[in-house]
Amino acid sequence: MKIGDHSLEQLDGQLREAGLCWRTGPFILRLKADIPQLTPWLHTMYGEHPVVTEPEIIDFHLQMRRGRGLRRWWRPQVHFLLDGNILFAPFPLDHAPPLFEWGLNLCIAGRANHFLLLHTAVVAKGGRAMLLSGVPGSGKSTLCAALVVKGWRLLSDEFSLVHPDNGMVYPLARPAALKNQSIDLIRNLTTENLIGPAFPNTRKGTVAHLKPPAASVQAHEQPAQPAWVICPQYRPDRPAHLTPLAPDHALLRLGANAFNYETRGASGFHAIAALVNRCSVHHFFHDNLEEAVVALESLSTRDIQPSPSETSS
Amino acid sequence: MTLTHGTLSTPLLTLLRQPDSFPNLTLPEQDLALRLLRRAGLLAWLFYRLQEGDSWQTLHPKVRDHLEGARVVAVEDERMLRWEVNRIRRALLGTGIPVTLLKGAAYCHAGLPMARGRLVADVDLLFVRDDLDQVEQALTEHGWKQVKLNSYDQNYYRQWMHELPPMRHWERLTEVDLHHTILPITGRLKPNPALLWQDRVPVVGESGVWTLSAVDMTLHAMVHLFHDADFDRGLRDLVDLDGLFRHFAKTEPTFWASLTPRARQLGLGRPLFHALTHLNSLMQTPIPQAVLIDSQKDGPIWPLRPLMGLLIPLAILPGHPERANLLRILAWWPLYLRSHWLKMPPTLLFSHLTHKLSRRWRPTVQNRRLV
Repeated sequence: MKIGDHSLEQLDGQLREAGLCWRTGPFILRLKADIPQLTPWLHTMYGEHPVVTEPEIIDFHLQMRRGRGLRRWWRPQVHFLLDGNILFAPFPLDHAPPLFEWGLNLCIAGRANHFLLLHTAVVAKGGRAMLLSGVPGSGKSTLCAALVVKGWRLLSDEFSLVHPDNGMVYPLARPAALKNQSIDLIRNLTTENLIGPAFPNTRKGTVAHLKPPAASVQAHEQPAQPAWVICPQYRPDRPAHLTPLAPDHALLRLGANAFNYETRGASGFHAIAALVNRCSVHHFFHDNLEEAVVALESLSTRDIQPSPSETSS
Repeated sequence: MTLTHGTLSTPLLTLLRQPDSFPNLTLPEQDLALRLLRRAGLLAWLFYRLQEGDSWQTLHPKVRDHLEGARVVAVEDERMLRWEVNRIRRALLGTGIPVTLLKGAAYCHAGLPMARGRLVADVDLLFVRDDLDQVEQALTEHGWKQVKLNSYDQNYYRQWMHELPPMRHWERLTEVDLHHTILPITGRLKPNPALLWQDRVPVVGESGVWTLSAVDMTLHAMVHLFHDADFDRGLRDLVDLDGLFRHFAKTEPTFWASLTPRARQLGLGRPLFHALTHLNSLMQTPIPQAVLIDSQKDGPIWPLRPLMGLLIPLAILPGHPERANLLRILAWWPLYLRSHWLKMPPTLLFSHLTHKLSRRWRPTVQNRRLV
């Protein structure tokens, strides 16, 4: 059963009472919430995600709770809690969905140390993963969303979950956060209505989310083999152009931006070194999303790197 | 769910006493146990205890992931701790001032098996009070800075506490606490630091680095829990103490014979009484009957004795992570007041508590470690 199969009333009831349990990528979470605004958003954005009815071990016990006392009514607020602990300063009540997404990101970044957690977006085609690495503002999330809209599989817009034993990237197909101008850029790429409501005036400006495609969510048990590392940079008047990047540069770059590169010690180094050695690594300037997608499409068909996941399956 | 308070706390205690019984719990019980242990900073502790046994492969894959994630963090904590001690030694090079490690840093450098999987928050060091200015100066020259405190807190530390305000390295963001004794100088109990100093033990292979003696290390571990009322970490302290007792009972032939006399010499008979009582009842730590009986002399009078016996377990044992626990709150307050009563004379206590209360009315964000 999927979250979208429930009626809004059923969903709301579960969120208020025992909590709603669902799987996203390798994680199972349980959310209790008394926020009416959150229910329809979850119903749409996580609509394809499988509900877990008899959870055995839950990775994240989460709660979204309205502010208490005066804050319930006057400029009402919402809190995000993990295991009963408040993790953030409260958000305004109508920003509950972005708070949920950021809260869950923080939980994963802090806790999932059995993975090497790289700070990149990941998309895939035919079992081969493309990692998009960039500092905030470089346009990695936008490019990721554009590729997904054009048919690539979404693994994550925020995390590469690299398993240190086999070097595979594990999927976490959650809503992809789009900021400010990116929202309309992605909206204009497609006639389908894939983007949720916009939340103005958050800490990162206006935020809206791209719904993860059903096929990406359903592939939650299929890891992908890293094949490309792309460091995109949106720059007006720089037509799409790929420049090969030395693997050692890519290693430092991925390591410096990772969530737990230092925490994982030597195994973090070895995992990234193996990854960049296996991948084709490029710097990528572009000034137009449609052309950028075409350039990366042709890179993916040109590169004839054998992929173990394909040969084995 | 039956892992928490009162009669319900038994399964959690069973788990702390016999970590290899973890696989016998049902999966929902394991889930709750993982949450309680994580909150207490004991998840990596469980990893190492289960890894020693042969049940690892039979565990639910998700349980293994959580424990493995905790192990990764604990290994990094230990690496950082060793590097930090190395850097502190370097900063003090040429001053001739010896470094005496306390708490976690000491357990780790003394090679105690209970240190494996222990999370580290900061490095605690003991110096002779007259050397502190020079130590502070040397650390400042090597990149440590005072953690920003308001003037009240600065004064609080410098005038009344047993340590300077914490210092933090500008780049590594690690914290170091510089102690000159083990309890606040305004407190009722005043263990003589010169006695601790005399009995120090050198760390093998690290010249100029010392730890307290086995007995003093154990006594120091118990003042935090049974005198300072730091109950947030109560479960972890309890497990630490159990580990110290079991280890030193095996490795130090004179441990039990010298424990009570040393505690009395340092004026720590009362905390030792509470520690022995509760380790015996909660953890079933093996303690010789003679030591238990002898320590009774240092216990409080009726009705304090049964009252403390009731309050301490209530405050130490965690409640359900998502439910407010009235009993625990009721137990916590008198113990909190008691710890302050023991920490400072009444007039100081009054002004300190009014000051703290006036700062209480702000939203609290518990951005504590998630792992």
